Amino acid sequence: MVENYAILPCNGLDKCAGVISREIAIKLCENPKNEIICPVYYRVAEAKYNKIAGKHPLLVIDGCQTRCASKLSAEKNLKISRQVTITEEAKKHKIELGSNLRLLENENALIEIIQNGLNNTEVKVTQSSVETSFLVKFEYETYQNGKFIFRVPKNQEVWFNENDCWVYVIGNRARIGVTDFVQQNLSDILYFTPPEIGAEIDQFGEVGEIESSKSVFELISPVSGKVISINETIVQQPELINENPYESGWIAELELTDFESDKELLIGFDKYFEIVKNKVKDVNG
Amino acid sequence: MSETTFMGVERDKIDWKPTIDYTKCDYCMECVKFCPHKVFEVRETEDIKLIIRNANNCVVFCRACSKICGPDALSFPDKNATTQRIREIRKEMESNG
Ligand code: SF4
Ligand code: SF4
Repeated sequence: MVENYAILPCNGLDKCAGVISREIAIKLCENPKNEIICPVYYRVAEAKYNKIAGKHPLLVIDGCQTRCASKLSAEKNLKISRQVTITEEAKKHKIELGSNLRLLENENALIEIIQNGLNNTEVKVTQSSVETSFLVKFEYETYQNGKFIFRVPKNQEVWFNENDCWVYVIGNRARIGVTDFVQQNLSDILYFTPPEIGAEIDQFGEVGEIESSKSVFELISPVSGKVISINETIVQQPELINENPYESGWIAELELTDFESDKELLIGFDKYFEIVKNKVKDVNG
Repeated sequence: MSETTFMGVERDKIDWKPTIDYTKCDYCMECVKFCPHKVFEVRETEDIKLIIRNANNCVVFCRACSKICGPDALSFPDKNATTQRIREIRKEMESNG
């Protein structure tokens, strides 16, 4: 249920998706416990909205992938608790949005779906999140280049893909995350968009997204499987990914589908360590 | 960035790059600013002002630029098909010694 939230829509008026973001915000704020943040007025009435955002968890509704509302939150140093992008939802639910700025049948259908989705998911996540107790003790090898220090775990149970994500496998369970290379490249990570609990992910499929003011990184899953839990702590504190992307900053846990086959396309410590060194040299010139 | 192989397969054999839908692209050039790998090329004086210049520089399985493209003009090959293809090429390489 979306209740006691501060709601920040992008309110973009020249795109249908922006108009939809506004409509959803208005609908959610029919519940008097929610409060709306107007992105335009925020520019001049900062104190007012900082206060609202300080009191409630923040739900950001972006119209399109430009994600102006998310960017505004970053500018204002607000922590995002939940985020939706209208164009992505439209794609997911196979609804074609018009170029017209008026809300017609399709748009209204989408508004209802998103609103219901928002009102229902939260409960689902907390109920079905079953975190394995991964008593992982990482042992690292370190590589330093200038002021950057890169750690790579050398445990045998840890595998990597060449897209800088790691996986720690215990039986048919796996915990995944990004490597120090990603974290250092992005610098301060401001949001984490988790994958959905229960989602079936293919090997190299998307398994969430992290974003800094510099860049967006789509997490590319090293393994195939079903998402059984996400690191809820980093939703609130994405900076933990910067602190330690292997331990407190892990991303999600999966129930594996076919690790034997996935393994063929993964690499171990030795190879990844070499790759990382080369990538670092490339980036640092 | 000139990674010449990906998972042991010659990069050239893997079809992975963004495709620009020119009916949607508004030449905002956000993708060019965003991608550090010099995949795109801007051609100021031409009709078509943006092309894919270095497809092989594109990081296999990355789709990051499509996330920042407002008009949603960038698309990518199917990931599963690409993974399948990589597996096949690796098998061929193995059986060829
Ligand atoms: S970001 Fe999208 S719209 Fe902008 S130039 Fe690139 S492809 Fe075109
Ligand atoms: S997919 Fe990634 S590497 Fe390829 S062009 Fe886009 S940002 Fe660059």
